Amino acid sequence: MDRVGQPSGRANRTQLMESQYPEPLTRIICLFEGLSDAEKRESLISYADSASKQAPRSGETFDLEDIRKDEECTDTVGVYLKISPTRACTFRITLGPQVQTLTKAMTSILCKGLDGASPEQILDIPADFVPKIVGADLVRQRSQTVYYILTRMKSASRVWLNRERAATHH
Amino acid sequence: MIDKNYAHPEVLVSTEWVAEHLADPCLRLVESNEDILLYDTGHIQGAVHIDWRSDLQDQMIRDYITPEKFASLCERHGISNDTTVVFYGDKSNWWACYALWAFRLFGHTKVMVMDGGREKWVAEGRHLTRAVPHFQSGTYLPATHRKDDEIRAFFDQTLTHSKENKPLIDVRSPGEFRGELTHMPEYPQEGVLRGGHIPGAASVPWKMAVNDDATFKSAEDLRRIYEQEAGLRPGDDVIAYCRIGERSSHTWFVLTYLLGYKNVRNYDGSWTEWGNRVGAPIERN
Repeated sequence: MDRVGQPSGRANRTQLMESQYPEPLTRIICLFEGLSDAEKRESLISYADSASKQAPRSGETFDLEDIRKDEECTDTVGVYLKISPTRACTFRITLGPQVQTLTKAMTSILCKGLDGASPEQILDIPADFVPKIVGADLVRQRSQTVYYILTRMKSASRVWLNRERAATHH
Repeated sequence: MIDKNYAHPEVLVSTEWVAEHLADPCLRLVESNEDILLYDTGHIQGAVHIDWRSDLQDQMIRDYITPEKFASLCERHGISNDTTVVFYGDKSNWWACYALWAFRLFGHTKVMVMDGGREKWVAEGRHLTRAVPHFQSGTYLPATHRKDDEIRAFFDQTLTHSKENKPLIDVRSPGEFRGELTHMPEYPQEGVLRGGHIPGAASVPWKMAVNDDATFKSAEDLRRIYEQEAGLRPGDDVIAYCRIGERSSHTWFVLTYLLGYKNVRNYDGSWTEWGNRVGAPIERN
């Protein structure tokens, strides 16, 4: 303990490694937790800059494509899911131009952090990691769409699992 | 300057005008956005960032900062009492108008808005930079008090206004006005228990005041919207509101500066206060 009742940074990391987060996401969370607020902002901008690289690449095919404009988000978001025979998920995401910068950053973080996770793992991921990455100051009412991309990824995973279940029953 | 027969054309400047005045030491460009990281992704050269919540609002009480803290904020950004501040931002200048209104609360009168805001600047392919400018500290003498009594309305004043059938402008979307939505379209719920509007309010969504490129409509168009259609008259004592006061700042700017109304107040408590307040009457129609 660093102070009474306060777990140390190392203890935090150990807890994270044992958490329900997939390993790549845990690494990103640990990285952000060690950054100052200014460094967090810089890293978030860097992740936001690479959001366009999360779009489907030429020749890729997907098991599920879900492109829609919801009330909760300022623009259209397309979620593309590919699941390997070993149940490893790969996500690609397209964002409309009105999507906020934090949401763009979270798109890159989640595409990298959830790469290789199973659909079941994705459904179990708690959203409490978001403030750890973004910082409490940046999570505010008007930036709640940072949670939206995770919701859409979970939704795609759920649909795929339902389809798999239905196919098994037939 | 832009003159579409506005009452105060001197407060509205074009993107071209801003581009030609980037080196003017008497001006300070201020970017204010809803997207909290947008400034960091690139901004107009020499622009400083003022955040509507962390910079202008008290962090413990739902209120604005003190005149002393405002003076300190300005000095940090190289703004003195005589600096002309040009505001621009995202969302068709919602937050730019909000910041301008807040500056007026502290008595800063040398204010301008860049017509079309950030969207127009970007659409025109104008240069953005990530370099954060550092200015020599300004010299700012704090106001003796905020001008709350001049351009800001509180709950009790708004309730009295409603009971006296004075003009109230609800600038939210029609769905919010009718009580069908308790949040702004495309936005998360901001914690309002009931939907509807303040009794007697007229619905004039903020967006009616702007063109597709985020620039303000001409004075003639604005008069048609606010006077012929909504029934306002020059000289009226008007209160505008939305959910948290940012969209209504936009309308406050339109009525005050573009149409020249002298008695317009922004009810910044807006629907997040009214829709939750015990005993506050509402209408749905």
